[in-house]
Amino acid sequence: MELTHEEILRYSRHLLIPEVGLRGQEKLKASSALIIGTGGLGSPVALYLAAAGVGRIGLVDYDVVDASNLQRQVIHSTSAVGQLKVESAKRRLLDLNPLIQVDAYNEPFTSSNAIKIAKDYDVLIDCTDNFPTRYLTNDLCVFLGKPNVYGSIYRFDGQASVFFAKEGPCYRCLFPEPPPPGLVPSCAEGGVLGVLSATIGSVQATEALKILLGIGSPLVGKLLLYNALDMSFDFVTLKKNPKCRVCGPNADVTELIDYEDFCGVPSHDHDKGSAGADWDISALDLHSRLDSTPNLLLLDVREPHELVISALRGATNIPLGQLAARLSELDSAREMVVFCKSGTRSTRALELLASAGFKKVENLKGGINAWARDVDASLPIY
Amino acid sequence: MPTVRIPTALKYYVDNHSEMDIPASSVTELLAALATRYPSLKFHLLDSDGNLRRHFTVFVNGEHIRDLNGLDIALGPDDKIILLASAAGG
Repeated sequence: MELTHEEILRYSRHLLIPEVGLRGQEKLKASSALIIGTGGLGSPVALYLAAAGVGRIGLVDYDVVDASNLQRQVIHSTSAVGQLKVESAKRRLLDLNPLIQVDAYNEPFTSSNAIKIAKDYDVLIDCTDNFPTRYLTNDLCVFLGKPNVYGSIYRFDGQASVFFAKEGPCYRCLFPEPPPPGLVPSCAEGGVLGVLSATIGSVQATEALKILLGIGSPLVGKLLLYNALDMSFDFVTLKKNPKCRVCGPNADVTELIDYEDFCGVPSHDHDKGSAGADWDISALDLHSRLDSTPNLLLLDVREPHELVISALRGATNIPLGQLAARLSELDSAREMVVFCKSGTRSTRALELLASAGFKKVENLKGGINAWARDVDASLPIY
Repeated sequence: MPTVRIPTALKYYVDNHSEMDIPASSVTELLAALATRYPSLKFHLLDSDGNLRRHFTVFVNGEHIRDLNGLDIALGPDDKIILLASAAGG
């Protein structure tokens, strides 16, 4: 696919590198990449692949831009808050490079549409925020024989690799099974250093470009472990798991499955904030209840550093991670409302309390953020 | 003694250490010693049968324990252990 004069000027710094050159840039123009997720990782990946001249970029996301995304999702702007992420990202990419094609898929990436969306792309880039979509992306890449450029982030830790079952291990060779539901906090619950997205996302973009160009040594069979606090980069070796259920010699998973069922969690990292209608109490109802039930215990299961952001007066703080060991501090005969930031951790706390015999417990639906929204506007939402 | 790197997700339970030396002659011993030293870590690290939870994996000197001798691999004083947690954030 020949370059125009306009493209030769735009990509001049690539053309000057012998490993890329004119032929390499033509390869990029003829190539395609599907970016699954246009959040923290998807932002730098999409921007750099568009700038690099990858001819066709696909973006999959069903979410809208939220103000809390802007700390790291640099493809979106303040003016895009409330807009579809794929549309916001597409607009930015075409502003950066109008000479490429951007296809936006405003839909969840699921077992029923994944093959149709992904089959014509050369490489898939896993920039998702949840386990079901990660296992789906992995299995899809194994079945379609495509490389899966993987990255994940949490607080200060990042991981990156290229899972390419034709030549090396797949994601399931590393993590055969998903974590038990609720044991691994998401970035929405635990936070993430914004710039970590750029470090890991730029590694993913680099690996994708190398694969599309056919140069260098991709991160196949190697896993990069990055820690931003220590500024440490560790590489570990990863081989195929002979017992891998997807890419091993005796694989028994031979088609896409129900990944939400497999992981026991939904395919998004949004706080649901509800423990179910039988267990929930709304912020407004809690406000009324506090007047009528002075002995009501408010149990805050957030981390201590969150209490300086917002707090409810008189609440007892026991972080979720310590709750199992500190149950003896609580009176099971007393009525109790458990809360956290937005209702996810408190739901887990409620399950723990219920299994320990506490019967008079309720979950503040939507957490302290719901209280801030519906009852006390002097508190910030975070 | 062997040095173990702790994933960010678990630092909270080990007094915020990211790395520490643990006297242990095998990975199994090392995990048990960690759980004993930091009781609140135990639930997060080990399941009810005392096995390493399925979303963790261990590397010794950069090699996956599956390719070595599993959790029973003998550890020497200079060995570097990475305890890796799966993370879905993106």
